[in-house]
Amino acid sequence: MTTATSTSTAARAAAIVSQYFSAPIASLEATATLLGTELAASGNLGPLSSQQLDALVEPHALATVSLPDVHIYGAGFIAAVGLLTDERNHLSWWQGDDPKRLLLAAQSVNKEHIDYSELEWFRVPMETGRGHVAGPYVDYLCSDEYTITIAAPVHIDGTFVGVAGLDLLIDSVERQLLPKLAELGDKVTLVNSVGRVVISTDPRHATGDAVRGGALAELERTACEGVALEIIAE
Amino acid sequence: MHSTDSADAPRKSAVVVDDTARSRDASRPGRLQGALFQSIGDAGRAELVERRLASAITGGHLRAGERLPSENDLARSFGVAPTTVRESLLALRSQGLVVTRRGRNGGSFVADSADPVAHARTALAATSRVALRDLGAHYAAITAACVRLAARRAVPSEVQQVRSRLGRLDESDLEQWRSTLDDAQIELVALSQSARLTREQMRLQAEMSPMLRLIDVDETSRRAQPVLLASVVDAVEAGDDHEAVAATERMVDAVINALIDLQSQSR
Repeated sequence: MTTATSTSTAARAAAIVSQYFSAPIASLEATATLLGTELAASGNLGPLSSQQLDALVEPHALATVSLPDVHIYGAGFIAAVGLLTDERNHLSWWQGDDPKRLLLAAQSVNKEHIDYSELEWFRVPMETGRGHVAGPYVDYLCSDEYTITIAAPVHIDGTFVGVAGLDLLIDSVERQLLPKLAELGDKVTLVNSVGRVVISTDPRHATGDAVRGGALAELERTACEGVALEIIAE
Repeated sequence: MHSTDSADAPRKSAVVVDDTARSRDASRPGRLQGALFQSIGDAGRAELVERRLASAITGGHLRAGERLPSENDLARSFGVAPTTVRESLLALRSQGLVVTRRGRNGGSFVADSADPVAHARTALAATSRVALRDLGAHYAAITAACVRLAARRAVPSEVQQVRSRLGRLDESDLEQWRSTLDDAQIELVALSQSARLTREQMRLQAEMSPMLRLIDVDETSRRAQPVLLASVVDAVEAGDDHEAVAATERMVDAVINALIDLQSQSR
């Protein structure tokens, strides 16, 4: 059932969602370009160590996590396998309310040897050469929470060297975005590109559920410009 | 069996002190509170840092020869003073788990002699059969809860990712074999979309994984595992939550039985 009301609600909801994600995505894309330039420059001076990489990434990561209006939980750069001289895999990643560099070896569950090259937020930007919104998914490598990761590939002279990324916790997205969607009055559900509920103003639609097979599956979806998420209005 | 995480140990003991103190001297809380809220001190912390690193090394999560992060990085990450990290590294050195090299490429490294399989063998021998069964029960309960949700929530392309990971299992490298199976297991349960359950599964996986290396050596047990896991994956993909749970129970039973068999052979 699509009425004129639900169509205009969907369009307004989609605009709110686009607006919410626009600053983090713009910041991330700028970081990816800058990092590519800076990495190329330091690469000219010789092979790169993890410590040198961390020093390059840190100011960008800290600037991203302190963006106003949108609560960003973590940000940084994940190196492609073999980029660095001293470590095969390396996460140059800052996270938390008082952002600290993520140190996998210090975590209670050992994650040092998780192969991240197959994880969506790394694999898709690597394969397509374009930015990607992954999730919501349980991020068992970095945040340990239910997360959306936005990632953009970093290239040096056309060669893929890793991804710049940022994490938004669904907990924060719900707190920040749901009140704005609720103001529209109608029932509004935000889903990702595989049809998974991100948040919904209808408490019956649980975050994480798939819309397939349910009442929402048949309804029209409205794309949110600039971010691969869709609105279903009832 | 070693515990994989003991970070909350001092908090628990602080609570115990609180209870006894209150019942003994309820009328004078003021004076006791001073002692109660005193800093737990870095002495206990050094031991916690030591235990966490030791279990990472004996569990094979930090490998022989691997460089540890710098003292300052570890200190920042654990939220303790650098001297505390130094103290715990000293203790690890005296246990022969860590070596320190000086010079330009110096630092602390996991000792070449630190053999996780030997540690796992000792741990398995020291674990009672009832404790093994109970570990299996805990593991099966968490995994079953995860795959039940995953069967309802996962989309086919996500399940396909798990399957393609299983496709890269390589029997010629048992270390790769174990980490690939562990990764596939975690990737599958994360499809539950539950962060709490996935974290719990990761703790259990870290506890089980060193012992599973012991049964990986046996060709029959080794080859049975991906087949059993694949049947869970199939059920999740088909959206059949009952079968996903049943297949999980078969998988965990097989693993625990193999561990118990191994234990009784070596006794």
